[in-house]
Amino acid sequence: MKRTIVSILLVLSLVLCMLPVFGCSKKEMPNFVMPEGGFDTTTPVTITFYHTMGSNLSEVLDIYVEEFHELYPNITVVHSQEGGYDDVRDKISKQLTVLDHPNIAYCYPDHVALYNVSEAVVTLDQFINYQQELTLPDGTKEIIGLTQEQIADFIPGYYNEGKQFGDNLMYTMPLSKSTEVLYYNVDFFTEHELTPPTTWDELEALCAKIKEIDPNCIPLGYDSEANWFITMCEQLKSPYTSAEEGNHFLFDNQTNYDFVARFREWHQKGYITTQEILGAYTSTIFTETKVAEKDGEKVIKSYMSIGSSAGATKQRPTKGDDGKYPFEVGIVPIPQVSADNKKVISQGPSLCIFQKENPQEVLASWLFMKFLATNVGFQAEFSMASGYVPVIKSVEDHPVYANFLNKADGGNNIAALSAKVCMEQADAYYTSPAFNGSSEARDQVGALMQACFVAKIDGDPNSEAYKQAVMAMIKEKFAAAIQECEYKS
Amino acid sequence: MVQSKKPWVAWLYLAPAIVLLLVFTAWPIVNTIRMSLLEGYSTAGEIAGKTFEFGFGNFAKVIDYGQFKTCLTNTILLCVLTVPISTFLALLIAVCLNAIKPLQRLLQTIFFLPYVTNSIAIGMVFAAMFNIVGNLSGENPLIVTAGIINEFLALFGVAPVDWINATSTYTTNMIVMVVYIVWNALPFKILILLGGLQSVNKQYYDAAKVDGTSRVRVFTKITVPLLSPMLAYVVITGFIGGFKEYSSIVGIFGEDMGPVGAAGRLNTMVGFIYDALGNHQGRASAAALILFGIIFVVTLINLYVSKKKTHY
Amino acid sequence: MTELEKFLLEKKLEREKSRQRVVRVVAQVLLYVFLITMALIVLFPFYWMIISSLKTLTEYQQSPPTFFPKKIIWGNYAEAFHTANLGKLFMNTMYVGVVSTLLSLVITVISAFAFARLEFKGKNALFAALLGTMMIPGELFTITNYQTIYYLNWQNTFTVLIVPFLVSVFYIYLLRQNFLQIPNELYLAAKVDGTSDLKYLWKVMIPLALPTLISITILKMMGAWNSYVWPNLVANDIDHRMITNGLRNAFTDANTQSTNYPVQMAAVALVSFPLFLVFIFLRKYIMKGVSRSGIKG
Repeated sequence: MKRTIVSILLVLSLVLCMLPVFGCSKKEMPNFVMPEGGFDTTTPVTITFYHTMGSNLSEVLDIYVEEFHELYPNITVVHSQEGGYDDVRDKISKQLTVLDHPNIAYCYPDHVALYNVSEAVVTLDQFINYQQELTLPDGTKEIIGLTQEQIADFIPGYYNEGKQFGDNLMYTMPLSKSTEVLYYNVDFFTEHELTPPTTWDELEALCAKIKEIDPNCIPLGYDSEANWFITMCEQLKSPYTSAEEGNHFLFDNQTNYDFVARFREWHQKGYITTQEILGAYTSTIFTETKVAEKDGEKVIKSYMSIGSSAGATKQRPTKGDDGKYPFEVGIVPIPQVSADNKKVISQGPSLCIFQKENPQEVLASWLFMKFLATNVGFQAEFSMASGYVPVIKSVEDHPVYANFLNKADGGNNIAALSAKVCMEQADAYYTSPAFNGSSEARDQVGALMQACFVAKIDGDPNSEAYKQAVMAMIKEKFAAAIQECEYKS
Repeated sequence: MVQSKKPWVAWLYLAPAIVLLLVFTAWPIVNTIRMSLLEGYSTAGEIAGKTFEFGFGNFAKVIDYGQFKTCLTNTILLCVLTVPISTFLALLIAVCLNAIKPLQRLLQTIFFLPYVTNSIAIGMVFAAMFNIVGNLSGENPLIVTAGIINEFLALFGVAPVDWINATSTYTTNMIVMVVYIVWNALPFKILILLGGLQSVNKQYYDAAKVDGTSRVRVFTKITVPLLSPMLAYVVITGFIGGFKEYSSIVGIFGEDMGPVGAAGRLNTMVGFIYDALGNHQGRASAAALILFGIIFVVTLINLYVSKKKTHY
Repeated sequence: MTELEKFLLEKKLEREKSRQRVVRVVAQVLLYVFLITMALIVLFPFYWMIISSLKTLTEYQQSPPTFFPKKIIWGNYAEAFHTANLGKLFMNTMYVGVVSTLLSLVITVISAFAFARLEFKGKNALFAALLGTMMIPGELFTITNYQTIYYLNWQNTFTVLIVPFLVSVFYIYLLRQNFLQIPNELYLAAKVDGTSDLKYLWKVMIPLALPTLISITILKMMGAWNSYVWPNLVANDIDHRMITNGLRNAFTDANTQSTNYPVQMAAVALVSFPLFLVFIFLRKYIMKGVSRSGIKG
């Protein structure tokens, strides 16, 4: 054994000699400075773009990449699908350590906060205000920055999301958006003369009623516990997180215990379920059309479902043999605490630009980013193919998109219906602060909700002792979640 | 052994292996030690031009952290449970296989099949078999799909158990993991032990037969001692593998390393390292070195206990 | 002893014999029952994978689950093949597998030879150090190796998929054990005849160690087939993507994150199938090779 240790030491010391070889070649993140002559339209540059688009969306993108290339012949755009959002994030954060990252990427605010640990994301203000003119191949001129009309065309809520990083600088440009909406079974609601809820109180009463009609159902399925938690904080104006250094995690408070306790009670009564708790997508029980007695099988149905507006087609039942949908789907905004403080979550990808050695690449990336965000044709086609909503107002006047919205219904054109509901709520959108650790907070509150819902507590649910035990359990889980957040950030 | 007249020839033969090992194995080890000894080290910070002070803060932070204890307990528990179970089962199967003639080769092939599979892919199959879809907590449990294992148990009148979902307990989670890990570990062990059994000299058994020794006695007094080098090997590799348990848990529970509402409940040491690898490379390195230390000590103990002359 | 006593004793012996025969038969039956039950348990997940891959999504989600698909959907396999572009993935994987196996065999053979037959200072220490590295969790290497290959500018090449894993301490160890079993007298005789080391290696040792070499080949190929983390990190462009990476996300809709499980199962089956084939045909060598590593324990 002595020999082993001696030999290990030998090898180690050998390798130690190699340290300087690697040590010297340390790379550092470049810092973009606007080049003297502005954008160079002659030297070819290639930029890479990471996204999560499936094949149908990539096809749309290809068309517009081609169009962009005609406008700026010296810029070549290479794009690739890197799996889901987390895959994009993981890959880029690894690549950043060796400066082999892409030029542009799909991003969520949390991701940008993570990339900014390496100071890798370029702020956009310097481009937006850049007034230098460019002559395009067809002779028209345009400024490199954004015109006042272009800025005004953005839906303000979406545009301002790029500035939520605590320093009031713009880091991201919105590409397309979605929110959460409430899907409901129109046929069932009409049959039993029910109306879709607008507040959480109404929802509770409604669930009780539905439970009476069909005791074997779970009236509501909610896709994402984390969204639910954060949205409740917004609606109740209760603290969740802040971007302020050293004081990030604020969600450990009585208001939040109370709503978690309330929803736990709903869960215990069988009013609600979530994707994780159910073990399957909540849309599977919402779109269930089998009848228990008739088919002799166990069947669980739900009559409402809260999920992403971009996933409308998944909330629609499969067509029967007669070519018709078994029931019609209705879509309304999610319930609120009060009509004065309407809040719905803002989701969907934004774009960010990364620092690069060559400033021309960074400028070219800006031009491509601007093109995707402000091109009416792209915004319209992308929205129709994806189920997301466009980020500029002028798309609504685009003939093809206007036609798409006009045909909205709860069957074939359900995507248009959800887009419509989503767009009507543009004023209610919120985003949460983004900082290094904000994604951890999100994960933790989601897990916290699940854990509180399913925790087993013995005793009579109506007794005071039981309620105290529940509250104690909830406090304990909150404390653990805070601790976890502090450690990971 | 021959003393070569030209010792440099040996080094020439070894050169390609040594060069590659220096670059891709030895250097990473040194770099890991470096990263673990820089306070709060992260590659992202380094790229942004931050400097880090020398210190043992990473180790302190890792050991202080509540999850670390969970990971360590899980890892040790999984080792302690799966290694003896799989070794015993493998020994039993190997002895039985050795005692039959017809079908021996077919059965041998079947028992080796799990060895040639991807543990994440088959983990998904296991998860599907244990999965239960429904709302099990609350006053009115509803089950959509009980899962094939529960359907099977229902034949014996057992009520559906939540194995891996929201209302599952640590015990049921552990049972699933032990079943899966044992399933995965069996082929290699059976193969080694069967190989060992087949090379045992028949004369010992013939002698025992003449003496009229009972089967149990033959097993404990002849088979096991003669197999002991193989058993030692199987146990040692089992422990080393057990301490690196990770992908089997990902296969069943996904990268959350635990059931819904209890993410990280089944996290292991390697899982802990992976978690930290993204943003806290200093802590990941510290945890990896701790793990290395543990494996090293356990292997030493194993070697000591087995007291067999090892050829390395 | 009277005639009667003799007769009774014979009877008794006969009874004893037949009793023993019954015991032996019962024991054999129990053995088979046990082994076959265990075999079924081992096989069940594979069976489940295959029938799941032939179901429709609706039937897959049905309760209680069906043990045989009501309607067999072979189309799942075609869909799996097309969606994931399996042909290209397969070629990439084969290329990496073959090249890395060949190079790895050369390195392993000469290293094992040096450790088994040549004597030089620090041999045992070096060998012990190599074995020590086997205990280190491989994840540890990932961060640094990732940086190293970028300094070498190897990203998105086949090189990066091949070179870092060419040396396996385990294979060197395996082959060394094998070489050690070959009597030293052969080597001495060869030396006396003036045969060179390389010739001796090629003419005597390699043929004798062939089963182990074949085992290494197969294990190495399996490694290429199953590798996931590293290729995903360093070479995940279409030209170099490996089979497991291609499969991982191909069946999940990026927007809704919903997965078509039967098609995914079909893909898993498709990927596992060549491995099973190789295994069934080369069973003897794999088993020999793997178990040989253990015998010297």
